Amino acid sequence: MTSSQTRSFTEKVGLLSEVALFAGLSEADMQAIGHATTMTHCVRGQRILSPDDPPDRIHIIKKGRIRVYRMSPDGKQLTLDIYEKGTILGDMSVLGQDRLPEAYAEAIDEGVICTISPDELNRLIERYPVVGVNIIRHLSRRLQAAERELEAMAYQRVDQRLARKLLDLGQRFGVKTERGTLIEARLTQQELAEMIGTTRETLAHTLGDFRRLGLLESSKHSVVIRDAEHLAEIADGDEASR
Amino acid sequence: MPAMQMAVPALRAADVSTVTAAQMADVDRSAVEDFGITLLQMMEQAGSHLADVVRMEAGGDLREQRVVVAVGPGNNGGGGLVAARHLVNRGASVRVVLARPALRMSEAARHQLATLIAMGAHCCVATYDLTDEELEHVLVNADVVVDAVLGYRIHGAPRDEAERLIGFIVRAGRPVVSLDLPSGVDPDTGEAAGIAITATATLTLALPKPGLFRGEGPDRAGRVYLGDIGLPEALYAGLGISAGQPFSAGRIVLVDRTA
Repeated sequence: MTSSQTRSFTEKVGLLSEVALFAGLSEADMQAIGHATTMTHCVRGQRILSPDDPPDRIHIIKKGRIRVYRMSPDGKQLTLDIYEKGTILGDMSVLGQDRLPEAYAEAIDEGVICTISPDELNRLIERYPVVGVNIIRHLSRRLQAAERELEAMAYQRVDQRLARKLLDLGQRFGVKTERGTLIEARLTQQELAEMIGTTRETLAHTLGDFRRLGLLESSKHSVVIRDAEHLAEIADGDEASR
Repeated sequence: MPAMQMAVPALRAADVSTVTAAQMADVDRSAVEDFGITLLQMMEQAGSHLADVVRMEAGGDLREQRVVVAVGPGNNGGGGLVAARHLVNRGASVRVVLARPALRMSEAARHQLATLIAMGAHCCVATYDLTDEELEHVLVNADVVVDAVLGYRIHGAPRDEAERLIGFIVRAGRPVVSLDLPSGVDPDTGEAAGIAITATATLTLALPKPGLFRGEGPDRAGRVYLGDIGLPEALYAGLGISAGQPFSAGRIVLVDRTA
């Protein structure tokens, strides 16, 4: 990754404290970590990752959007996805995630990327064991999520699967508002239906049930979770009381 | 683009039942849940027939023909991706233009896309991989555009990336073959609430959607072909739909609306 402008140290530290990997560290620890990691301010179109990079760095998107794409042998690009703040890119084997094969990444707009090499990460874990604990938590959450997903598809009712998926989306993308957790849907009902392995009609019906029970409000483009506790009970297998 | 229709048996529109979007959703569900016919099986047949219709609409020979396949994120798009594979195999010069990034497509559509990538087919995303000028150039220079952007499950005006891609197809003014129904046309009413495709021909699947025969549908759909995706009569009977045997004369039939 070529660096353009590097942010001021205090800004860098301020941004670092938002990364879950570094949760639980003191202000002084964060300052020390700030020295050990590279924070890069990137401009639109700047390459963040390429298959030729040493395959050992972790990049955390702190600000802006990153486009991940493949390149055909004749140089034609195919966009795979657009990632936003909070996503971890790069060789993620250390975080239990596979590297995207043959993928390039570049900034769509101005952004800030925090880069950590494996050596830096090892040193950080030695000095700040809580970082290691946070990685274990991250891995364990991913494993649990994968297991839950498999189990849900195989055994659970549609209302359970939907409740679980909404709670998950709320945790990952939700915004706390006065009315509850707002999930701005970039998803259509069809896509949400496919995610939980049902039809759009059944999904609409189940969302209607949840609305009537006061668990959520939903409109075409968003869902507000009003009663996460009750939703969690349904996700755990309690029948939605009609 | 000279059409070559002599190989296709015709069926009078009055002799074939239609299915609403809600009924078709039930048909799709029952195919998978009650009869074990997978989505990929149905998609393969849809895409294979679509490539056949494109070949007929292009005059019978696809070699040297430039075909742009416009693909939405759902399973209609997946059918378009299957068609793209068959079109490449038959010698067409194919460009696949996706409305959305690859990982934001349905699982079945991603499966088809992976095959195309392995084949070295030329695939890109409209919003991110092509400038507006490049997209316009690709579409204006196409001999045929395949419209697999939106399927029967979509009601109302197209939005976001789909709306944008449909807009470019409409402005290019090239012959279009639509899958299932022209994108932007309501499957039940035939009305277009926003931007919509006007196709030269439409391949609709299993049974025609009423919107092809109502409202703006007849003007938007062009020649309507009906393609067999292999669903048994028992499936329709179980849902109270009287399907008859529309494919007794062939697996693709031309629906004659004048008779």
